[in-house]
Amino acid sequence: MIQKKICMLGSFAVGKTSLVRRFVENMFSDKYMTTIGVKIDKKMIDIQQQSLTLVIWDIAGENGFHQIHGTYLRGMSGYILVADKTRTSTLDTVINIQKTVGQAFHNVPCVLLMNKMDLTGQWDVEESTIDKMQQEGWDIFRTSAKTGQNVEEAFNKLAVRMLEK
Amino acid sequence: MQSPDELNSLRTLILAPEQLEISELKERLNDPGIRAEELSRIIAEAIVIRASKDHKLATALLPTIEEVIRDSVKRDPKFLADSIFPIIGPAIRRSIAESLRAMVDSMNTTLEHTFSWRGIKWRIESIRTGRPFAEIVLMHTLVYRMEQIFLIHKETGLVLQHVAAESVDSKDADMVSAMLTAIQDFVNDSFSAKEDSSLQNLNLGELTIWVEQSPRTILASVIRGTPPQGLKTVLKEILENIEFEYNSALNDFKGDAAPFEPCRPDLQYCLSQAQKTDSGRDAVTPVPARITRAERTKKGQGPVLFIYIAAALCIAIIVIGFILSNL
Repeated sequence: MIQKKICMLGSFAVGKTSLVRRFVENMFSDKYMTTIGVKIDKKMIDIQQQSLTLVIWDIAGENGFHQIHGTYLRGMSGYILVADKTRTSTLDTVINIQKTVGQAFHNVPCVLLMNKMDLTGQWDVEESTIDKMQQEGWDIFRTSAKTGQNVEEAFNKLAVRMLEK
Repeated sequence: MQSPDELNSLRTLILAPEQLEISELKERLNDPGIRAEELSRIIAEAIVIRASKDHKLATALLPTIEEVIRDSVKRDPKFLADSIFPIIGPAIRRSIAESLRAMVDSMNTTLEHTFSWRGIKWRIESIRTGRPFAEIVLMHTLVYRMEQIFLIHKETGLVLQHVAAESVDSKDADMVSAMLTAIQDFVNDSFSAKEDSSLQNLNLGELTIWVEQSPRTILASVIRGTPPQGLKTVLKEILENIEFEYNSALNDFKGDAAPFEPCRPDLQYCLSQAQKTDSGRDAVTPVPARITRAERTKKGQGPVLFIYIAAALCIAIIVIGFILSNL
């Protein structure tokens, strides 16, 4: 059984914990409880005919990498950046996080989740912005922890990219 | 008289091979690359030969080696620390053992003055086994049981191996290992600890979690009760062996724990041996912590019984002496 450590990064209240809960337990709750420090979960998946254990480090959201505990990222095989489609500032945050993490962790695969797609009336991030980022090479998934849209696909894609390395 | 040109021609005719040889020798002497190549072919043997004759080579190299070590430590102290990790533990322990031996001797003398039925029994055991009396006392008064051992990859927090004693309700080893690593990181970050400092003990009620660390691995042991400090030495030795024997596997680790399966029996053995109940025998269920033989023995029962036996012996001796004197 192969194990891989992955980290959830992003601003506060973007839905990192909800995405993990949806992926691991297939559950969702509207109640918001901020994560303090780090929360760890695990899920076993089958990818490319082999079993893989994902140990998911859900790290408390901050507004800049310098506040993120870099030590938590040690040894990670991949990471998931999460932005909130109803707040543009969260996208700026993940772009900054990716710049810093990318420098510190070369060649570690990542995917970007544009979360809260279910809140259609409150979207703040333009679709054109997302399309442009995809053209620039970002691996982006439009997700909703509430409905489960694209959550499993995003984690599976990251798993595939980690196994390819 | 011949002209210089004619002399040169004559010289060339007669000495051409030698001139060529001299020219090649000059080239070899003047070219550092060729000289280095030639020296590299003989330097190993030269060192061996020179070293066998006297100590001058060692004396000559000593200042250079000292400077190299000094520079290495200045540049990256961790490199040298990691390199000597497998041997530094035994060296330190040997030194500490000597100091402890002296301390135990002193304690032995003090305890020898203790007079009780249990004390006499332990004194007999000490004579029989050849171990110091203080060590026997410590052995009988500690009650503990090692319940779980986690071998964890330090960088990722992923579990390499996990063993648990029978009837122990163990949680998901992957999650526990990751959380232990996260706690370590959290404490170091929050309290600005030095880079090489580490969390060593966690206490939770009657449970103690000992955390031993090496450059690339962590050995976390969950113990119920009051374990002897000597058990830490055993855990350190296990970790040093793992660092040494699984060097390549640790360097190449990418999430597959299969290469570490062979160390499982060692961890299992450590688990099965690391326990002591108040009966002195292995127990299936863990004994509650801090309950020693002294607490379970009724108060005053031992010494009273001894007095009775001593009194009976004295009376018997007196009677026998009286009978013999009258014969």
